[in-house]
Amino acid sequence: MTSSTPANAPLAFDRPVANATSQKMAGKLMIAAGSIIFVATLAFQILYASGVIESGFDTWLPVLYAYALWAASIIFGQVLVRGERGSRATFVLPAVFFTVALVVFPTIFGFYIAFTSWNLSSDAGRVFNGWDNLRALWNDPFFWNALGNMLYYGLMVLVEYAVAFGLAMILNSEIRARRFFRIVFLLPFMLSPVAVSWMVGKSIMENRFGPMARLARLLGWERPAFFSDPWIARLSIEVMDAWVFIPLMIILLLAGLQALPKEVLEASKVDGATPWQAFWRIIFPLMLPVSITTIIIRIIFKLKLADIVINVTAGGPGGATDTVSSFIYREYRDRSNVGYGTALAEFYLIAIIIFITVLLIAGRRLARRYGALPAVAES
Amino acid sequence: MKLELYNRLMQMQASRRALLKGAAGAGAVAAFGSAGALGPLSPLTGKALAQDNLRAEILKIPGVGKGSPTDADWQKVGELCLGGTKETVKEGEFAGVELTFMGLNNQNLHNLLFRGFLKPWETYTGAKINWIDLAQADYNPRLQQSIATGTVDFDIIEMGAPFEGDTAGKGLLDEMPDWVKTLIDMDDYVNYLKPPVGTWDGKTYRITIDGDCHTFAYRTDYFGEGSISGMTDAPTTWDEVDEVTKKVKGQSDPLTGLDAYGFLDPLKGWGGFGFYFLEDRATAYAKHPDDPAWLFDPDTMKPRVNNPAFVRAIQDVMDLIAADVYPPDQINADPGTTAFQQFLAGTGSMICWWGDVGSNARTSDSSVIGDVVGFSINPGSKQVYNAKTSEWETPATPNFAPNMAYLGWGIYVTNRVSGDEKKRKAAWSAAAHLGGKDLSLWCAAYPSGFQPYRNSHFNIEEWVEAGYDSDFISDYLGSESESYNHPNAAIEPRIPGIFQYYSIAEDELAKGFAGQYKSAQETADAIAAAWEKITDEIGRENQIKLYKASLGM
Repeated sequence: MTSSTPANAPLAFDRPVANATSQKMAGKLMIAAGSIIFVATLAFQILYASGVIESGFDTWLPVLYAYALWAASIIFGQVLVRGERGSRATFVLPAVFFTVALVVFPTIFGFYIAFTSWNLSSDAGRVFNGWDNLRALWNDPFFWNALGNMLYYGLMVLVEYAVAFGLAMILNSEIRARRFFRIVFLLPFMLSPVAVSWMVGKSIMENRFGPMARLARLLGWERPAFFSDPWIARLSIEVMDAWVFIPLMIILLLAGLQALPKEVLEASKVDGATPWQAFWRIIFPLMLPVSITTIIIRIIFKLKLADIVINVTAGGPGGATDTVSSFIYREYRDRSNVGYGTALAEFYLIAIIIFITVLLIAGRRLARRYGALPAVAES
Repeated sequence: MKLELYNRLMQMQASRRALLKGAAGAGAVAAFGSAGALGPLSPLTGKALAQDNLRAEILKIPGVGKGSPTDADWQKVGELCLGGTKETVKEGEFAGVELTFMGLNNQNLHNLLFRGFLKPWETYTGAKINWIDLAQADYNPRLQQSIATGTVDFDIIEMGAPFEGDTAGKGLLDEMPDWVKTLIDMDDYVNYLKPPVGTWDGKTYRITIDGDCHTFAYRTDYFGEGSISGMTDAPTTWDEVDEVTKKVKGQSDPLTGLDAYGFLDPLKGWGGFGFYFLEDRATAYAKHPDDPAWLFDPDTMKPRVNNPAFVRAIQDVMDLIAADVYPPDQINADPGTTAFQQFLAGTGSMICWWGDVGSNARTSDSSVIGDVVGFSINPGSKQVYNAKTSEWETPATPNFAPNMAYLGWGIYVTNRVSGDEKKRKAAWSAAAHLGGKDLSLWCAAYPSGFQPYRNSHFNIEEWVEAGYDSDFISDYLGSESESYNHPNAAIEPRIPGIFQYYSIAEDELAKGFAGQYKSAQETADAIAAAWEKITDEIGRENQIKLYKASLGM
């Protein structure tokens, strides 16, 4: 038996109806069996872990195996049930199950931990404590101080953006050794922030022998100290972090600049636009979508700032350079305070999601106002 | 011995030998030898007599100055030191037994040495050891997570005494059998490592393999006739230290010609370890000779960190900050900076640190103070605070209380083996092999990651016989010995979460030093409040019980 297939339809194989039905049935059975095994294993282990039943697995590893089995049964089962469409889904489903296991589940489980008191040194172990962690967070001056610092670091992204835009414009122009400079400008981004902490923060900026200190003395600063005054310390950290990440912004902006329609720029020249007018009226508006993406990506990186702070100042002097991430690090690692540390991290995650969402909406409106974003992009 | 120290020591000795001992020295020794004029303490006589001496034999492996020991050397040492094992275990007695050992792999030492030392032990006893190697930074989280989640998966553990509260205090360790105590000669330990360290509720759990304490190092060229401090001798009390620190401000360092500075307080945190350095000051005020407790009240766990003694220590530092007598950027100087970037490099004249810094002063390539450095125990105080009467007392002589910071590494056996007598004996036999008296001498003399901790380690002749420079090793060992054996040593509390207390204290101190609190008292009160919170989180009643146990009360 054959069927007539339109010329442009995807290639499909015909199968006998009875065979297809039995395959569907087998697929459904496979999914059902995998699901039952997973749910049963999970329930069994939860009951054991919570002390309801006396026997169970020593570790949660069998639950993980059951999850893998469940994932496999769904992937193969839906190929049998849905045929060609199911086959196509196999390209996505493993990634979905992987993400669920390593991102979604830990995040959700993290929310549960955030509502517990769990100090690793405590005999009591993990104890549900309701809103206590959030109350503690609300009254924690270290947290609010760190969040205040993040506001400063976040605002500095605009300065970084201006610098990066300028450098991207230079690298986009017809300068000598353009390729060489593009690579050189990328170098800081290739360095680990930890290495930068030691090379720059602990060596170049060392107040006695460091080249920066020597230069500062030459310039008349008698006792240079880059991490003693709160504002100088904040600025020093910002400079190091900017040095590492401005190249990333340059790459993104340079890509945007190179994609600008040449005919528009040439037309502006023909019409007698000055370089400033060409930048301000044409390049900047056209670059807005790329700029917004760049700034948002940079802010996301900035909100995770921790390594340079931990290595160079440990948050000091007196918390002046502390970031939320470095504070969470101390709370979690140095003080083994898993419950409160997780509450801080989850609260911060939600705050970041809200902040970035607001930023995206605002950015989109801004781009639309300048006519740099077609209406369809709003969706 | 720490690897870094050993390497630098070798570099220093090589140049010394070349200059001083060389061909002329060798010729002179040969002439004396042929004339039969060697005295009883001469190195050559010692070497000849040491042929049958196990300690002298192992100290020749591979030989001081002949490069870093290898796995083959560790195995040789392990083989030669099997005497104790052969006395207590029959050949093949542990066949079929498998043990898991968790420890560090810092600088490719610790566990890597243990593997070599235990290889001949495994061959002789028939047991097999599986290894869990951890980097220092991963150690605490791994241990705490194992305890908290009930997944202790190791039978033997290399562990610092401060973690005894987390393990012994929670019943996770196996009590040391009497035959082990005899085998490792625990009476030989320096005083501060004797019980209650290593014990809980009167039961012994620890085989010590290392020692730690803070000592006072100072620049000799800052003191004496016509010196910039105006003092004949180095200060011995904290008020003298602070006086010198203020007095040398504005003067030039006699060695470097740069600005002179006095005591180097680290004002930045160091993952909890920075609090040890406030303790250096505070113990002189707070550790009363009649009271073993000094950090908490043992009956209530009420912190003493905000009592007048600690407040005075904090105030001392704040006064020095206000007087602007520290080097620039001191607020951002952690203990590593004060020791290695400041003191050794010629900035500042006084510091309290572990033994490493004192010995590095003479052996490190980056040190410029090798010829002008002296050592003593930590400074004392003319007054000591009595927490029981809430009164300051003025003893006839200053109160000294050396800070026994960290208490060194030890080997412990977990209760996983308690139900299986054969496995238990095997675990303790392996641990005893690593903590044996002779093997420990080798560890003290060669790169191992461990410092001397037995009275028998302070026999200078053995070191000289092995090839060490007499003057240097006398300085190195002498600076630690007095602190180790001090009757009023401030012993670190071994309670669960001790580094949590230190960590939050560092944060609050940083705020205080940055002027965010109005006074030393307010700073200390903030620390005390945070400590109270931690105690409540961990469980006050249990902490009281464990704190008392750790103090031997």
